[in-house]
Amino acid sequence: MVMKSSVDDDDAGWGLGIPEKMRNNVNWVDLSLGELLHDKLFGLFEAMSAIEMMDPKMDAGMIGNQVNRKVLNFEQAVKDKAIKVRDLSLPELIGIIDTCLCCLITWLEGHSLAQTVFTCLYVHSPDLIEDPALKAFALGVLKVCDIAREKVNKAAVFEEEDFQAMTYGFKMANNVTDLRVTGMLKDSTRIRQGEQRNPEVELEHQQYLALFNRIKFVRLLLTALIAFTKKETSSVGEAQKLMAQAADLLSAIHSSIQYGIQSQNDTTKGDHPIMMGFEPLVNQRLLPPTFPRYAKIIKREDMVVYFSKLIERIKTVCDVINTINLHGILDFFCEFSEQSPCVLSRSLLQTTFLIDNKKVFGIHLMQDVIKDALRCFVSPPVLSSKCCLFNNHQAKDYIDSFVTHCSRPFCSLIQIHGHNRARQRDKLGHILEEFATLQDEAEKVDAALHGLLMKLEPQRQHLACLGTWILYHNLRIMIQYLSEFLYAWLMSTLSRADSSQMAEERIAEEQQKGRSSKKAKKKKKVRPLSKEITMSQAYQNMCAGMYKTMVALDMDGKVRKPSFELDSEQVRYEHRFVPFNSVVTPPPVHYIQFKEMSDLKKYNPPPGSSDLYLAASKHFQQAKLILENVSTPDPEVNRILKVAKPNMVLPEFDFSVHKYFPLVKII
Amino acid sequence: MAAQVDENGPPFNADMRSRHKLEALLNKNMRIRMTDGRTLVGLFLCTDRDCNVILGSAQEFLKSSDMFSQGEPRVLGLAMIPGHHVVSIEVEADTLADSQYCRGGR
Repeated sequence: MVMKSSVDDDDAGWGLGIPEKMRNNVNWVDLSLGELLHDKLFGLFEAMSAIEMMDPKMDAGMIGNQVNRKVLNFEQAVKDKAIKVRDLSLPELIGIIDTCLCCLITWLEGHSLAQTVFTCLYVHSPDLIEDPALKAFALGVLKVCDIAREKVNKAAVFEEEDFQAMTYGFKMANNVTDLRVTGMLKDSTRIRQGEQRNPEVELEHQQYLALFNRIKFVRLLLTALIAFTKKETSSVGEAQKLMAQAADLLSAIHSSIQYGIQSQNDTTKGDHPIMMGFEPLVNQRLLPPTFPRYAKIIKREDMVVYFSKLIERIKTVCDVINTINLHGILDFFCEFSEQSPCVLSRSLLQTTFLIDNKKVFGIHLMQDVIKDALRCFVSPPVLSSKCCLFNNHQAKDYIDSFVTHCSRPFCSLIQIHGHNRARQRDKLGHILEEFATLQDEAEKVDAALHGLLMKLEPQRQHLACLGTWILYHNLRIMIQYLSEFLYAWLMSTLSRADSSQMAEERIAEEQQKGRSSKKAKKKKKVRPLSKEITMSQAYQNMCAGMYKTMVALDMDGKVRKPSFELDSEQVRYEHRFVPFNSVVTPPPVHYIQFKEMSDLKKYNPPPGSSDLYLAASKHFQQAKLILENVSTPDPEVNRILKVAKPNMVLPEFDFSVHKYFPLVKII
Repeated sequence: MAAQVDENGPPFNADMRSRHKLEALLNKNMRIRMTDGRTLVGLFLCTDRDCNVILGSAQEFLKSSDMFSQGEPRVLGLAMIPGHHVVSIEVEADTLADSQYCRGGR
């Protein structure tokens, strides 16, 4: 059947006009209340997914008809002289620019382009704008959107709640080069700067300055984003400088917001404030039927605050290039993610780390980075230039293929840390499978290398080197997934890595001694992993303390538990630990095992709650002692200490100091 | 067009208001005008006692007074029109041609 484009005038071909239907409450079909007349293939289930017309929450088309004003697109608005394209006053320009920047931020916070930036009519076709400053600004905003969109898409660390990738076929100023746009932004403000030499009125001077700062801000933002698209690492430093310059303009922009025109809140024209040059409904028909009516655009003051935070985040992102070791980079990603950063900064961090998905920071091969990490962590003989394995072809093949297999899971691990916080846990559960496979391979490669080494250099060992390293990462993922326990495992893994390092160093030293009799003064070397071991010990004690406190509190009936009819501890337990089943070391603990292990009856006599409080208190004390010996305490150490001290005395849970270990008080 | 419904007579009189007449209209193209002036065209899938109608693959047409986006339908998909917002219902005559309803209606 061919749909007619207009249904109004042409009534031919349609029959059965059912008029004046049930208005007098006559049922139109003899169905009973709640009964549906439907096809075999269409049931209540399908009916549930229908959108309800005339429901303001579901029917986006509804308001278009309720608003009394005419919804004009840019060309129509220009033709009708509803908006100006030249001779705009300074307050108008400032107001339009500020509103548009607010839209940009709202878009970056996860709304659709159609309801944010493209509600500004000017950006629909900047070619029609005759005012040079406004034209340059419109093009600049489009370029900023385009680069940001490209970065976010490339990094692929967004979910539907973070970002709307749809562009609805809008033109993003692709016919103009980046260079031309930055040039226009520069020139358009230069003209203004020239004009402010003879300010007749001080106010006008201030307004020129406000406009100048805004255009300059957009130029700096755009230039910084362009720098991120370059492949050289030096451009990241350049971006950082540009961002710092942009940040300096923000206070001036903030103090001049008042000069811009405000939107007219004319209720006769609709329920939404209308600003010259903006039409919130212009793209309404491009949206899916169930879209929210209006995106709530953020306020101008908040926009400036948001920009300053965004710039801070981008500056932080630039620092990643100063981190060389893979472990350092992983820590950087974890730490950055802890501030729950926005999708743009997260994406920029990803694309800065792996440029074109091949090389770290565009320079180092991922394989080399992994080898360095291995060398720092366990110093495996195979990677030591002093070991005979180093030049052995077979050994080289083994290690090279292992490292190649490592690179993809590690890239995914880093990518996971780029996702929003809420999504990370689920993804960590999935990646454990890949790491379990790696663990298996690491053990095999270890064994093969050990066999080779035994033949060539019997005094050296190559046992559990690569295995230890993978296990370390496995445990870190598992700990992140659960945010608790497993620290005993982590500690033993770290100690093994530490001793392996020491063994390698001893051999190196002995070799040196053999060659030159010059006895090197034995200086106290800082063990690279000692800090992490200490922290794990402290965490382990904190966890043990918390566990015992909880058991004791439970025993005393002080824990209020939600009780559901169908609740089952076993189901919860098993669901939570599903991702761990693929991991061999540490072996998965089954629910029955867990019940046996945690059964207090196996102790004779079974401990009472006071024994447990005491034991818990000892653990907190132990954690405190360990942490107090840390020579250079970082904020995390101080936070843990703050919790450990009062918890020693006696156990209300207070998560304000540390998010995993609460302060415990009894009321 | 053998199945033109008699425009003058009451097209929906008491004896036609029966279930199987309406069932014959299922999966036919239906055009519903709503209280706010919009018209929806889609497949008639489901209804109930209160004339709530569900149309499949529905398209929304605006009233012709709207200059801006006149003519281009918007695809809505599965849409339910509450009975009290229905102004009129029409069924496409082509698809009625050999339906039971029309034979019965003559």
